[in-house]
Amino acid sequence: MTKPRPKENHTIFLLTVGLLAWLIPGAGHLMIKENKRAFIISVTIILTFCAGLYVGSIGIINPSGAKPWYVAQIMNSPIVAALGYLAKTGDYAVFGKPNEIGQIYTSIAGLLNLLCIVNAVYLAHLCKIETAGD
Amino acid sequence: MSITYSLVMATFTIPEKITTDPHSMLWLLPLVAAIAIVYKATKLPEIKIANFLKESVILFGSIVIFMFVTALVLYSIAWLVIE
Repeated sequence: MTKPRPKENHTIFLLTVGLLAWLIPGAGHLMIKENKRAFIISVTIILTFCAGLYVGSIGIINPSGAKPWYVAQIMNSPIVAALGYLAKTGDYAVFGKPNEIGQIYTSIAGLLNLLCIVNAVYLAHLCKIETAGD
Repeated sequence: MSITYSLVMATFTIPEKITTDPHSMLWLLPLVAAIAIVYKATKLPEIKIANFLKESVILFGSIVIFMFVTALVLYSIAWLVIE
């Protein structure tokens, strides 16, 4: 029988899973040994985000001019903050349809990653319940 | 190396040219595919390739059909209002 983790350790474990899932899409699932899920999530979210950047350029990440979109985009990874800073300092203005499609793609990728973060934490919590119930 | 770096950077620093014609609606499809894949990856109790693909395709089709029907209804309403 596997020993259940103490409560404090379990909370730290859940926080680590959530943080990892935010740092790199799919890493949270990888930590709880859901390798197939991790691979699918990682590839899909990174591809969607890169497609958005490809269509609209890094100019679509606009922390000051498009805050609601930025909030969704930052759910992808903290790297988005660095890209936002880069876009702010350079001249990467983008308008019209490419801006619209790029923002939709990157924001949806971010919201999908938020779903995956919640799912990874939930699955990690379930692991504890199953371990305790053995 | 610097040429490769420049090419990669150029890809992500210059926006694509997308017009506002009906074909631009096709950009919806890859996004719907991504949503269907990630959603099914979180919801299925066990990931088996055949079952996962089947479920993802069903969800993808459902979303596309629903959006198509919604577009038809909205178009009909707009047509009734205008005519």
